[in-house]
Amino acid sequence: MTFCFRNLFRRKVRTALCIIGVALATMFVIAVGATTLRYTTVIREMNVLFHGQIMVASKDAIIIQAIPISGGTLPQNYTQTRIEKILGVEKTVPILFIVPIGASDVSQFVPVNFTWGIPVQDWQSIFGPTPLKGNAGRFPTNESSNEVIVGASLADQYNWTSGSELNVRGYRLSVTGILDTKMALLSRSLIMPLKLAQDIYNRPESVNIITVKPTVGYSQKSLADSIEQNVTYVNALTEGERNDIIQPVLSQVETWNIGIETIIFLMSLILVMTVMIMTVSERRRDFATLDAIGAPISYILRTVIFEASLIGVLGGALGITFGSLSAIALASLYSNIPIAQFFPSVFEIVPPLYMVEIFAAIVAVCCVGGIIPAINAARTRIAEVLRAEY
Amino acid sequence: MEIRTEALTKIYSVGSSRITALDDVSFEVNERAFTAIIGRSGSGKSTLLSLIGLNDVPTSGRVLVDDKDVSKLSGGERRKIRLHRMGFVFQTFNLLPTLNATENVELPMSLAGKTPKEQREKATKLLETVSLGNRVLHRPKQLSLGEMQRVAIARALANDPEVIIADEPTGELDSKTAKEVIVLLLGINREKKKTVIVATHDEKIVEMADIVYTIEDGRLSFKS
Repeated sequence: MTFCFRNLFRRKVRTALCIIGVALATMFVIAVGATTLRYTTVIREMNVLFHGQIMVASKDAIIIQAIPISGGTLPQNYTQTRIEKILGVEKTVPILFIVPIGASDVSQFVPVNFTWGIPVQDWQSIFGPTPLKGNAGRFPTNESSNEVIVGASLADQYNWTSGSELNVRGYRLSVTGILDTKMALLSRSLIMPLKLAQDIYNRPESVNIITVKPTVGYSQKSLADSIEQNVTYVNALTEGERNDIIQPVLSQVETWNIGIETIIFLMSLILVMTVMIMTVSERRRDFATLDAIGAPISYILRTVIFEASLIGVLGGALGITFGSLSAIALASLYSNIPIAQFFPSVFEIVPPLYMVEIFAAIVAVCCVGGIIPAINAARTRIAEVLRAEY
Repeated sequence: MEIRTEALTKIYSVGSSRITALDDVSFEVNERAFTAIIGRSGSGKSTLLSLIGLNDVPTSGRVLVDDKDVSKLSGGERRKIRLHRMGFVFQTFNLLPTLNATENVELPMSLAGKTPKEQREKATKLLETVSLGNRVLHRPKQLSLGEMQRVAIARALANDPEVIIADEPTGELDSKTAKEVIVLLLGINREKKKTVIVATHDEKIVEMADIVYTIEDGRLSFKS
C-alpha cells in the first residue's frame, strides 16, 4: 500500500488534480442526489399520514400525493355531512392545510413550513401514535383554544419550547408540545385546532381535505367511486390512486438522477483511466523491471488497480464530505432555514447508506478505470522496454 | 544451473522490415563460471541475455535450463524461474524510484513470499556486503550511480539465485566505480559460487572472465 501511495504521488500535481476531479464528481452526485432524495422522501411521506384512508379534495385543487398545495376549498359541514351519508364511510376528518405558514417573511424556492388545522378530537386519526418530544406537553384539547403543537425543526429554528408563545397573523398562540418525529413534513408543521386555523387564515367553515376511513371490509376504490358520484365537486383518491399520480413524476426524477450519476461516473472513469494510462506509460521501465525480476502478472495488475482505487478512496472521501456540506447548503438555500440547523441532522439529509453507496460506486468506478491501464502495464514487453535504453 | 542454447534465432519486425538480432546461436554457460559476452552496440548481446534470462522468447531455437526447454514454458513459469533462480543487473540499474535501497532489495524476497523479518535481515546484510550499510534508507535519486548499481547487485542476490545476468553493468559508470562493481561481481562468482554472465564492452571484465564469447551481427563465437 505504501508502495502504491508513493507511486501515485510521484506526480503530485496530476494526482491531486485527478483526486479533485473525482471529489468534484462525487460532491455533485451527493449534493444533487441527496437534495432529490430529500424532496422525494418528503413527497412519499405525505401518503404515510393518510394510510388506509381516502383523501377527498376539491376538483380545483392541485394535489401532490395527499396534500392539496394550491386552490380549491370545500364547504366543511356541507361536504362532510354528504360524505358521511354514503354507505361504507366509518369516519371523516376535515382538515385545513395551509402552505406556507409565513413564520418569517422570506421568499422560498420550495415550501417548507406548513399549517394543519384539525379538529382536536381527531389528532390521533391523523398523527397516530406520534409522541411529543421528551414526553412533555400535550395535544390541544379545546377547539376554541389558541393552543398549537409544532414540529421539531420549526421549534429548533425559532427556539420554541412547550409553553412558548408565538404570533401568527396577529394571533397569539401558545405551544403545548413539540412533535417528536423525523418526518420532514411534520417536523416543519404547525398543528392547531381546525377552528383556530380557519379563523387565522380567514377561511370560516372551509377545509381543503376531508379524509375518509372506510368501514372494515369496504374497498377504498368502490367507496371513492361512490363519493365522486354523490359529491360531484370533489375528487376522492384512494391510497393507490394518490401513489399513481405521483409515481410517474418520482420515477422520472429518479431516472434523471440515475442518468446524471451515470454521466458523472463515466466522466470520472474516463478521467481516472486517462491519468492512469499516462502514469503507466511513464513507468513502463518500472513494470518491465518488476516483470524481469519475476513479479507475477497479478502483482502488477493489483498494483495499478489499487493505485486507481486509492484515487477513488481519497476523491470519494473528499467528495462525500463536501457533497454533504453542499447538500446542507442547498437545503438551507431552498428553505431559508439557517444552515447551522441542518448540521445535527446531516445524516437525515444525506443518509449514511446513500453515502456508502456513492463511496462504493466511485471507488468501483476508479477500480474499473484502472483495469485497462493495469492490463497495459502487465503487457509491458520487458525486452523491448529495457532494450530501448541503449 | 546449466544454461544452453540451441540454434537460437531472434528476429524483430520493425514496420515492414525484419531485423535478425540473433542468428543460430548455440552455446553453453558453464556452471559457476564467469562468462563474458562482448560485442559492439547492436550486435545482439542484450537480445541474447534477454533470451537466456527468459525475458523474451526466441523466434526459433531453444533455451535449455538444466536440459529442460524453457522457451516453451508459460509466462508464469518463466517468471518463477526468474524470481527464484536468476538475478538481473541492468546497465541503467532499474531500481524502483519510489522505494529506498532496503525496499528495492526486499522486493524480490517479498514477491517470493518471504516474511518481512527475513526480508529486512537479508536486505540489510546484502547492503552491508555491497558496502551500503549506511545508505539503507536512501532512495535511488539520493544515491550515486555506483551506489545504485551496488543496490541493484544486492537486489539481484536477494533470492539467492544460481545465476546472475548482468547487461552492461559498468556502462554508466566511471572507471573507478566500474572497477568496484567488477570486483563485486567477481566476488559473487568466486566466493558465493554463482554463475555470472555479463554482456559488456569493458576490457577489465573481459580480462577477469573465465570464458569470453564475442558476438557480431547476431552470430556468436568463442574467443577464449
